Amino acid sequence: MFASPPIRPPVPPELAATLRPVSFATNRRIALDEPWRGLVPGEGLRRGSTVAVQAPSGAGGLSLALSLLAGASSRGHWAAVVGVDDPGVLAMADLGVDLRRVLFVPRPRGAWAESVADLLDGVDLVVVRPPSRAAMGSARVLTDRVRERGAVLLVVSESATIWPLPVDLSFTVTHAQWSASSRLEDRTLRVRIEGRAGVRSAEHTVVLPDRRGRAAGG
Amino acid sequence: MERLIGVWVESLRVEALDGSTLRESLALLDALGVVCPFTELIHLGFYALPARGPSRFFGGESRVLEVVATVVRDVLGREASLGVADGLVWCELAAREGVVVAPGATDEYRRSRPLAALGRRDLATTGRRLGLRTVGDFADLARARVNERFSGSVLVLHRVARGELDELPGQRDARLGARLGRLREANRPDEQRGFFGQRGAADDRAHAAALRLRQRLGADGVAVAALRGGRLPQDRAALVPWGSPAAPSEDDAPWPGQLRAPSPATVFTRGVAVELLGAANVTVRVDARGTLNTPPTTFAFASGGARGVTWYAGPWPLVERWWAISRRRAHLQVLLDTGEALLLATESGRWSLAGVYD
Repeated sequence: MFASPPIRPPVPPELAATLRPVSFATNRRIALDEPWRGLVPGEGLRRGSTVAVQAPSGAGGLSLALSLLAGASSRGHWAAVVGVDDPGVLAMADLGVDLRRVLFVPRPRGAWAESVADLLDGVDLVVVRPPSRAAMGSARVLTDRVRERGAVLLVVSESATIWPLPVDLSFTVTHAQWSASSRLEDRTLRVRIEGRAGVRSAEHTVVLPDRRGRAAGG
Repeated sequence: MERLIGVWVESLRVEALDGSTLRESLALLDALGVVCPFTELIHLGFYALPARGPSRFFGGESRVLEVVATVVRDVLGREASLGVADGLVWCELAAREGVVVAPGATDEYRRSRPLAALGRRDLATTGRRLGLRTVGDFADLARARVNERFSGSVLVLHRVARGELDELPGQRDARLGARLGRLREANRPDEQRGFFGQRGAADDRAHAAALRLRQRLGADGVAVAALRGGRLPQDRAALVPWGSPAAPSEDDAPWPGQLRAPSPATVFTRGVAVELLGAANVTVRVDARGTLNTPPTTFAFASGGARGVTWYAGPWPLVERWWAISRRRAHLQVLLDTGEALLLATESGRWSLAGVYD
């Protein structure tokens, strides 16, 4: 007797091992908006990947990470922002982030890594700014979990809080310059985008934020 | 070495042909993930989770063990064997033996175990002939002697026996993560967003995660954003606790005197006290006509750390209730010599940091 009666004739085991559930290439990436769409390989963030955003203090790292959320949240993906104590919600709205689908964990205190782990179960994108350099162990667990859940982890760091493991994609702000007249107008960033070892790195110019608070091509 | 709680489920050790083992393993992993999100499935039949975090949360290690035992019973309908020790190797052994090794006693525990605990029968047999019965006996053997008597892989075990490594080679099932990932993906419900405002599966998942996080961090641990009218960045947007009854609605009405985009990416709800000085260390002030007494040259946090000011714009006076003199505020944008851009606020002669364009 079968424990549960087979509904379909069984597939030979060697064939079964090669079968995958149907999924389209586009579903394996989380879409980005301009200007990032044209700059990132595959025009989106691959599910299961860990992405680093590095910038010196005050040089636009946070704005950059939040701008990467815009494409996803406007397409119905949920996102979360962890460890950003006082997020500029207005700036996020200007960047095109749909705030109805963003959860904030502003002050996770000692539990930032646990919070990220919890959120990876429920949302597609998690932006985290670790308050201190992540321990190797938690970084590894989180990277594994991201891969397993098919989410994307965006780590915003400065040199002191740099992610201790290699990442799949990194955005590094190499130069930031404000232009100002009677008020702050816009900021031009030089951003180096690198993939995993072997993928060509390239440096791009991006205006972030521009005069309307959005991200734009250079 | 990290103190770990081990969960040993004998019945999940050997994989059944119908795939039920993997499904049950995944179900238990998800259930234990509620107790601690850092629960790991090391190999089939053995889970490990850090002891410290959950102990703080549940109020003691023995409370966590009770919770874990209940979770296993609820999910599998069977009992698990639990144990606590430092390091993955000894945690697994403690779980199989069902013992809690007292904090700091793992060294003693490790040395007392039979040599077979290192998982190599050939080593245990050779060891017995050499009169090495316990892990401690083996650990006391000089490294050079191990090197001449055994192959290279035993050197690693020697380091484990000495407590220098906390994981046995091959203890972790490297392929398990990918297999669980595929199983999860195959079971993932269709994630089409609901039409006409219906809640879809993705919304349900996000809400479940937020709920769990609120249990972990407290009522205001998780927040959502609300936009509303107001002149200042900190007035126009607010974070409200997730699940609070009435989140303020969006209001796009133009507000006179509101600061134009770009807005700071960091907005302090409570301003941080700072100093703004002009030439000869005179404090910069905004007078009644809305002009500065002296151009700012130096910015400093109240706690110290001065920076040069290279550019400024403003002040933009903001008389909220013009009849109340004390509520006269003004804003100033400054650029520092580090390239950072800040939004400063002043009120009754004192300066505070309102936002950072970071």
